[in-house]
This record gives sequence, structure tokens and C-alpha cells, in this order.
Amino acid sequence: MRMPTDTGRECGRAWEAMPWVLQDSAPQEQTEWLMSHLADCDGCRAEFEQQKRLRLAMSLPADVSIDPELGLRRLLARIDAPALATAPARAAGGSWLTRALVAAVLIQAVGLGMLGAKFLAEGTPQPVYRTLSQDAAPLPAGAIHVVPENGMKVADWNALLRSMQLQVIGGPNDVGAYTVLPAGGAAASTKVVQRLRATHGVRLAEPVNANP
Amino acid sequence: MNDADTDADTTDRLLLQRMAGGDRTALSVLYRSYHGRLCRFLSRLTRRADIIEEVINDCLWIAWQKAGSFHGDSRVSTWIMGIAYRCGLKALRQHGSEPVDEDSIPEDRIPSHDPDEDRELRDWLGKGLDRLTVDQRVVIELVYGVGHTLDDVAVIMQCPVGTVKARLFHARVKLRNVLPGLAGATSVTREIAP
Repeated sequence: MRMPTDTGRECGRAWEAMPWVLQDSAPQEQTEWLMSHLADCDGCRAEFEQQKRLRLAMSLPADVSIDPELGLRRLLARIDAPALATAPARAAGGSWLTRALVAAVLIQAVGLGMLGAKFLAEGTPQPVYRTLSQDAAPLPAGAIHVVPENGMKVADWNALLRSMQLQVIGGPNDVGAYTVLPAGGAAASTKVVQRLRATHGVRLAEPVNANP
Repeated sequence: MNDADTDADTTDRLLLQRMAGGDRTALSVLYRSYHGRLCRFLSRLTRRADIIEEVINDCLWIAWQKAGSFHGDSRVSTWIMGIAYRCGLKALRQHGSEPVDEDSIPEDRIPSHDPDEDRELRDWLGKGLDRLTVDQRVVIELVYGVGHTLDDVAVIMQCPVGTVKARLFHARVKLRNVLPGLAGATSVTREIAP
């Protein structure tokens, strides 16, 4: 299609009008204008001929042979038995999903059963947590309450713990008392208490058992 | 819409009204009336006859069930083609799309009365449609095959008219550049792009 600048717009207009003129839905004046344009424009005339050929080809009947009467009988049968017609289709469409869901439920059931059997075999374990209503956990034998002086440095406190082989197992509480446990346990507790009382910087050293 | 279209639509509406009341004879009339155009329309989407028949029956099954709810906002043919389009796309998703390939059509699928001239025309068309997307083939079929307007096609494809225009334009340009024959000059793409 040749489109000189001054007629390019007209050719574009012709291009847009062609399908509707061909299907006879264009206004009469548009059809008449197109015909007059085609008379003067070789390119658009050739294009219009191809469009006509396209429309002719598109209007040929389907090349896939399907018997309408057979299809209609099937549709009527489907209407007559809607439950039978739709249920299998749904079942077929969702069969893999249904099977997957059933498998998941079975796996869950087996898992729950195994967990239950394990709990029964081990008995009910003691919980690792403690509620506020429960009594405080008993302190190990030999534990000592120690209150260092306020001015005691952390480094000195740590040195004291190391030198006496003490492990802090609680505190400090509201009054600044730590609970410590000697490495020797209850057997070493009395001697450790005495040494602590003699140590500079220790305000108080008292065996836990001494406090009822 | 010309007088013939108006008459056809009036007939279709009467058929729908009767179908809404459970009239199977009306359904049979509508079925036979639409079978050919639905068959050709769907053959632009897939080559498989079994899928085409399945989609036609799904489409008219829905038309049967919803006949009472048709409010006449569009022509009956537009409504039915829209249902067929959506059913066809659904079938493509389920079965997978297949390219339009005229060479793959078994001989027994080509009507025996197909004269040489028609076969040549089909081959010529097949070369072009093969290059189009599904939506472009649908637009070409609806405009050139069925004779729908841009507004109708927009309703059928549930998209803006501008989208239909663009699809039609690109489809025509592709066909013009691919199809051999009568219009053999330079491309018009740039000069007339919308």
C-alpha cells in the first residue's frame, strides 16, 4: 500500500473502515467514502481485496466434523440426569485432590497414634516449668547466703568466689544476698562459712539450713 | 444491527424464554441454530473435536440453566458466544492449547464436499491464523467470521473496546504480512497505528 504523506491519514481511515464495511455494519456514508477512496488508491484496493478474501475464508464452515444431533442427545441426557452427569465429572476432576487429602489425614492419624503410644510408654513426665503457686524449689544441701559489702568491687567478688570454689546459684535478692554453693557441697559448707565471715568485704555469711 | 440480526435476536429471545420454562424443544432449536457457528468459533481455539463438542454442550448447558436470568443487556448471540469463549478458555487450561495447524487435520475431518477452491482458501487462511495468538484468532473469528461489532466482541471477551481494537489491529497486520497474495505492498503498520 502506497501512502504519501498527504493521503496517509485517508488510508488509515480506510484501513479502519474495511471490516465494518465488509460485514455491512458501517454507516452508508462511510461505505460510500471507502468506495470512492478505493477507486483512487491502489494499495487500499489491494488490501480490501485481501480483506474480502479473509472474510470469505473465515465464513467457511468448520473443518472439524461434529454431529450436532449426537451432541444434542448427549446434552438432553445430561439434563435428564443432572446428578449423574455432574457428579462423576466433579469426582474425576477432584480425584487426585481427594486422594491427597485422604492420604494427609491418614498420615496425621498415624503420627498422632505414635505420639500417644510414646507418652503412654514413658508415663507422664514432670513439667520442666514451675508455677507461681508451687513451693520454691528446694536449695541443695550446703548452700550459703552471702551478703557482700556495698563497696565491694565485682573483680574482688569474683576473685573471692574463685578462691573458695563457690558457685552462685541464686540472688542477689532484695537485700543483696547471693546464694552460693561450695564445690565440696554440704561437707565443706561449715568451713566455708567461717572463712567467708573472716573475709574482708563480706557483711554476712549464713548457711541456708540455719534459716528456718 | 441489521434487520436480519434483529429478527434472529427476537427469535433467540423467544427461545430463551421458552427454555426458562423448561421447554426442551426450544433448547433443541437453539442448539441446532448455534452448533455450526460455535463449532467454527471453537475450532479457532483447538483442533480436538471431542473438546469442541464438550465445550458446545457446556455452553448450552449453562444457557439452559441461566435462560431465566438473561436480562437482554446484549444480543442473545453475544451472550452465548461469551459463554462459549469462557468455556473454551477453561477447556484449554484443562486440556492444553494446541496450535492451529491445517496440516494436522485428518482427511476424514475435512468435509468431503470441500471443493478444491475452498481447500485452497483454508490453506491460505491456516497459514495466517497459525501466526496469531488465541485472543487474536478469536477477535478475527468474531469480526470476520461471525460479524460481531467491536462492542459485541468487548462484551464477549470481557475486556475494553480499546483492547479489542488493538488485538484486531495487530492480527490484521500479522495476517497482511504473512498471507501471500492479493495485497502485496509495503507494511502499513506505522502509518495507521491506532
